[in-house]
Amino acid sequence: MISEEYRGAKQWSRDKQAVFTVVWISFLCAAIGTMVFFALFDPVDLSGIFDEDLDIDRDAGYAAGFFFFWVLSFLCSAITAFLVRTAPKRDAAHRDTSD
Amino acid sequence: MSNPNSTSLYESAKKIYPREIAGRFANLSKLATVSLLGLFYAVPWLMWDGRQAFLFDLPARKFYLLGLTLWPQDFPYLALLLIIAALSLFFFTALAGRLWCGFACPQTVWTEAFIWMEQFTEGTRSQRMKLDKAPWSWNKLRRKGSKQFLWVTFSLWTGFTFVGYFAPIRELSSELMNFSAGGWTVFWGVFYGFATYGNAGYMREQVCKYMCPYARFQSAMFDKDTLIISYDEERGEPRGGRKRSVNANEAGLGDCIDCTLCVQVCPTGIDIREGLQYECIACAACIDACDSVMDKMNYPRGLVRYTTEHSLQKGETQVIRPRMIVYAALLLILIGSLVTSMSMRTPIILDVIRDRNALYRELPDSIIENSYTLKLINQSNSAREFKLSVSGVEGITLDGVADTVLVSGGGVLSLPVRARAHRDNAYGIMKIDFMVEALDDDGDMRIEDSRFLGPTP
Repeated sequence: MISEEYRGAKQWSRDKQAVFTVVWISFLCAAIGTMVFFALFDPVDLSGIFDEDLDIDRDAGYAAGFFFFWVLSFLCSAITAFLVRTAPKRDAAHRDTSD
Repeated sequence: MSNPNSTSLYESAKKIYPREIAGRFANLSKLATVSLLGLFYAVPWLMWDGRQAFLFDLPARKFYLLGLTLWPQDFPYLALLLIIAALSLFFFTALAGRLWCGFACPQTVWTEAFIWMEQFTEGTRSQRMKLDKAPWSWNKLRRKGSKQFLWVTFSLWTGFTFVGYFAPIRELSSELMNFSAGGWTVFWGVFYGFATYGNAGYMREQVCKYMCPYARFQSAMFDKDTLIISYDEERGEPRGGRKRSVNANEAGLGDCIDCTLCVQVCPTGIDIREGLQYECIACAACIDACDSVMDKMNYPRGLVRYTTEHSLQKGETQVIRPRMIVYAALLLILIGSLVTSMSMRTPIILDVIRDRNALYRELPDSIIENSYTLKLINQSNSAREFKLSVSGVEGITLDGVADTVLVSGGGVLSLPVRARAHRDNAYGIMKIDFMVEALDDDGDMRIEDSRFLGPTP
């Protein structure tokens, strides 16, 4: 016989699933965002917009852009996951007896 | 083959220790792993015309693919290519199920390689389980330590190979030898290496179960004719242990001897006998396991096998079906348009920026002048001569530029030019065309429009 415990071994907790999924999916979104954004704009051209004296090279520009997108999509993803997981349960007793 | 009941000894195990299994599909998987990883590590070292054959040179903002050089302006090609890749995956999934997951996905391939290193240092499944339970000893430290050493080294090699697709790998490797590599380069190498280490060393199939979007929505592409791995319930049930001498028919048993090997080898920890489950990554380990047992029992192979739902229900599997035709047609259209547009691509880019400081200037002899900056990019790899001209207003001429301009291979030329026309012909807002022609045999040309402003009539 197969013990249930063995088969269900190393199941991630719901929280762990949520955290890793949010990190991973926001990473993918950030990768797509970075790709499209920097295909259109050269970080060297952009650096002058914020500060005339700001002189960043492309590598730093790409990295900054990528992390900006990652943080943004992480927030979006994390807040969505949080709201979905903590939404009040539908109050079945009240609704189902009313009609 | 160990005692089937041995699993009960390990009830408290908190890890999945997939049992290693030999067989046809295990060999296929080894072959896939070796060839795909081989490609990954070898491709950045390939040369073409004196430079890296496949280089997505982000610092220089140019992509080199064999003889082709792509510029940021060519981004639509890349987007189209990604759409084609996604659609191919849909097509392939509808046809062959999750073959991708089981044999070609980077997650699977690197996990496989990491498991090899684990087996090499820590031994077989039961040895690993014993080692994990055992108290710390010199032997445990040595085995665990050498595993970590192999994993970390392999991860770093992977990370820096990955970076080598985006920055020239030969320079990168010599910089690494001299400890002179740039900060960001090192950062991304370590970052990607760490991701490999975590994904392939620890998270493994949990990535497929919890984090992979494709694993969840691939069922939308499945139908009754999709190739799946399935247990033949009709043949197997009622399952039960028996001696080899017992005639299953007389004992009222099906072919499944309930040895649970198919469950023990499963890297996602499911029981294939419960039917198709989304956790199944179609690695076919259970087929190998079951076949080996069937051979021992002298039963025909294939109690667990690649099949389709239709075929399990004694029907005919339809390979050509509306879904396949639609996917194939879309794929053909997209590939066709990519090939056509790439072959019609002219390696010249002309950008016209009108000088915004002045609407127009009036020169003596009733001449109206507008200023522009032309940006001329030669996307080819060799120097070319170009001729610039302008049209759209009667008698319009170009000033400030020589008859022919030479642009080096891959070069960008910024040309401040002035267009002039007689006042009688230039009034209000008029559309003009700048044209650049290559003066060699190819006769490539590019036309870009702009506006010419004159006084209101």
